[in-house]
Amino acid sequence: MPMQIGEKNFKNRVEKGLGDDFMRGAVKSAQSRLQNNRKLAAEDLGDWEDWRTLGQEIRQHTIENLDYYLNELSENVAELGGHVYFAETAEEANKYIQDVAKKKDAKKIAKSKSMVTEEISMNDALEDIGCEVIETDLGEYILQIDDHDPPSHIVAPALHKNKEQIRDVFKERLGYQNSELPEELALFAREKLREEFLQADIGITGCNFAVANSGSFALVTNEGNARMVTSLPKTQITVMGMERIVPGWEELDIVVSLLTRAAVGQKLTSYITALTGPKKEEEGDGPEEFHLVIVDNGRSKILGTEFQEALHCIRCAACINVCPVYRHVGGHAYGSIYPGPIGAVLSPLLGDDEEYKELPYASSLCGACTEVCPVKIPLHEQLIMHRRNMMEEREMGNLAEKITMQGFGVLTGSSSLYKIATKMAPFVATPFIHDGSISKGPGPMKGWTGIRDMPAPSKERFRDWYKKRKAGK
Amino acid sequence: MKVSLFITCLGDIFYVNAGKAAVELLERLGCEVDFPASQTCCGQPAYNSGYHTQTKRSAKNMIEAFENADYVVGLSGSCAYMVHEYPHLFENEPEWKQKAEILKKKTFEFTQFITDVLKISDVEATFKAKATYHTSCHMTRLLGVKDSPYTLLKNVKGLELFDLPHKEDCCGFGGTFSVKMNRISEQMVDEKVMHIESTDADVLIGADAGCLMNIGGRIERQDKPIQVFHIAEILNSRGEV
Amino acid sequence: MEAGQIHNKDAFLSKVRNHLGVIEVKDHVEKPEWSVSPQKNVLKGKSKDELVEVLKEQCKVIHTDFYQTKKNELNGVLESIIKKFQATSVVSWSDEEMKKYLNGIDAIIKNNNIDFSEWDDSNPEESIKNAEKADIGITYSDITLAESGTVVLFNSLGKGRSISLLPKFYVALIPKSSIVPRMTQATTKIDQEIEAGNLIPSCVNFITGPSNSADIEMNLVVGVHGPIKAAYIVLDDI
Ligand code: SF4
Repeated sequence: MPMQIGEKNFKNRVEKGLGDDFMRGAVKSAQSRLQNNRKLAAEDLGDWEDWRTLGQEIRQHTIENLDYYLNELSENVAELGGHVYFAETAEEANKYIQDVAKKKDAKKIAKSKSMVTEEISMNDALEDIGCEVIETDLGEYILQIDDHDPPSHIVAPALHKNKEQIRDVFKERLGYQNSELPEELALFAREKLREEFLQADIGITGCNFAVANSGSFALVTNEGNARMVTSLPKTQITVMGMERIVPGWEELDIVVSLLTRAAVGQKLTSYITALTGPKKEEEGDGPEEFHLVIVDNGRSKILGTEFQEALHCIRCAACINVCPVYRHVGGHAYGSIYPGPIGAVLSPLLGDDEEYKELPYASSLCGACTEVCPVKIPLHEQLIMHRRNMMEEREMGNLAEKITMQGFGVLTGSSSLYKIATKMAPFVATPFIHDGSISKGPGPMKGWTGIRDMPAPSKERFRDWYKKRKAGK
Repeated sequence: MKVSLFITCLGDIFYVNAGKAAVELLERLGCEVDFPASQTCCGQPAYNSGYHTQTKRSAKNMIEAFENADYVVGLSGSCAYMVHEYPHLFENEPEWKQKAEILKKKTFEFTQFITDVLKISDVEATFKAKATYHTSCHMTRLLGVKDSPYTLLKNVKGLELFDLPHKEDCCGFGGTFSVKMNRISEQMVDEKVMHIESTDADVLIGADAGCLMNIGGRIERQDKPIQVFHIAEILNSRGEV
Repeated sequence: MEAGQIHNKDAFLSKVRNHLGVIEVKDHVEKPEWSVSPQKNVLKGKSKDELVEVLKEQCKVIHTDFYQTKKNELNGVLESIIKKFQATSVVSWSDEEMKKYLNGIDAIIKNNNIDFSEWDDSNPEESIKNAEKADIGITYSDITLAESGTVVLFNSLGKGRSISLLPKFYVALIPKSSIVPRMTQATTKIDQEIEAGNLIPSCVNFITGPSNSADIEMNLVVGVHGPIKAAYIVLDDI
């Protein structure tokens, strides 16, 4: 699955989301639960703002010295006997992974959840050469069984589905016969996937954080599937976006603590698994062969720009969980595997910005995202930055808007013109006023009055009143 | 104390009563209120739409309009915040950046000015109503003014103030967002109106003209029996509105 | 161990440097002094006994049974857990330390007719199969984090990854001396090992209770791919 999901037209995607009552109900209740958990976990610490500050400093330092830390990481992995492939593009990454699979004559591949492999469409590439790829994260598994329904959230990919839908999919595709109780559904998946883990030739994982000083990488999970994937198959491939790295374990502690709290409100998830190279020779379980694939795929061109902070993201989804726009339109409306505020910032950077040109505007700039981000990414400011680039540098705006804005600049930049314009407002508006307000406005006002009234301009502006009052004193 | 009123464009044209109330109240609190007539709009609509060159024209005009002011008191949290953003805007024009910094330092939102500068928490107002207060996003999150409105409203005699559930949620205004993405904005404002209705309040109070225009406009469209006031009107009230 | 290969590094990193505006290849980067260190204040100055209390409370949050006992009463506790879980098969780690803890297990095995096996690195297939079939997997904890209720396992020879993962139930023996406030103390120790040039374990697992998932309508389901129940036994005198 590439980064782009669903149909091309943004407006249609939004309408589809707005019309999907179940999805909206599911998203709303999930959001309120996740938000609440995050809040409690943050309050519990008492000094959450200090944690955020530390998180931000760590991420900033790491990204500013990314070349150094990636070098250190790769040298350490190689010293332990692991192989490292630096992939500039999705194609390069996929080609390398295909080659490993071919060399191992792999039939079955067990995979734990990873956004970057979605981004580069790795599953398709492996299926192209005849491998069977099995998603083992429960949410991802559900989506895969359901004809590869795209994920709608970066932490809980099947957030948009209800348990009845899941029961039906299991029933139809896998002959499931029990109820829609989450416990029974999960138990069924456990049994199904057990066999797969034991048979898999290769395990593939993403990477929450690589640790440069030891050549390790950490996986943050609750289900235990990532542990299976890294304990049982003989060959392991780990794919990481190149920014997912910290200098040492001291910093790993902080980013993991921020991630689990911000994402789900847990002090730590059930499993934080930190792996360092392939298994040692005499050890019984763990992979004999280990490959690390470090993916650029458009990230390096974000470095050195005003968007560099977007690479600080630790993919906790806290911004998504508080976003009111996401709540109403759902994840699929963004047309990207990265939805919500961080998706609206990242998708135009990593993907085709023409395709994602509406996303930076799909925000009321309320700043809820910025307020919760555990590494203090100024998300709403990044959205404004996108808007500025699109309008001023790329001139992607439409002509009418551009003229309006130029007019705005002229008017508000000159007090005398402004005064004339505001004085005329009541006269211009007169034909549209009924009972003191405007309910059907002309031209660009339609967007407003389509859903709400507009107050009538006051006959006497404040400035006129003030002038008279002053004269009368 | 000399204060210069920053009325905001919406205040000048639509919310004239709020402006009048603000002048009267500030005077009652011992301030000498002045209105620099060359002020226009803070430039936020253009800024948030990505037209930063145009925004600079508004900003320069505002900087000049308030050059001689001791204190600038804005009637909308969001617009006051926009003024606080000016230094960013002039990152590459040191001369203007410096002037913008000066303006930023002396610019306050209306309730913030009363509680933090005048150090007054009771303006001795009376307003008999069941009311709830809408915390606007820019004012609370970005400008950081969280408690001032509540401090002042709590001391208004006769005012029964209900907590607004999910008060931190955006009302869906977002400037041009309300027009460009009006289908999404509609859902957001509906949710807000629903939360307001759930409180039993018949009066909605706000400190941001944009939000009030949005929520008020939706309330009007749906004919809900809720009256909308700018906080200055409440704080200036002596019992009769 | 033969060194692995690194492909395409130079071109990749030089592109990164270009965008970052870095001209020279750095041979050393000094980490800055971070302006704050809130992690060091968590449960600061608490005694081991106080930390045990924190751990006990946290066990309620993470759906984990909590026991506290002395070394010479461990067998009784283990037996009651085996009975409670209605277990018929048990697997455990097999290193020297583990053997010390389990030196009385023979009697329990006999009395309860338990199928018992230890992890054997020289026979991984068999060991994995045993673990997969087992009702209970037993390990001890190398470091224990009070704040989160986490046992840290340094997997290595005799300490297979599968023991804490494949069985239906997981039991961790926790020497009181292994309890520290939080993850910070564990990661500091690992950083010190690295600094000293020592190899760190190929797998370090931070385990916090049984496996779980909230992927279905955000309802918490305890027990997904890993163990479906967990019990911690704190050993007071070790
Ligand atoms: S942008 Fe911040 S809040 Fe959003 S996913 Fe990334 S780290 Fe989390």
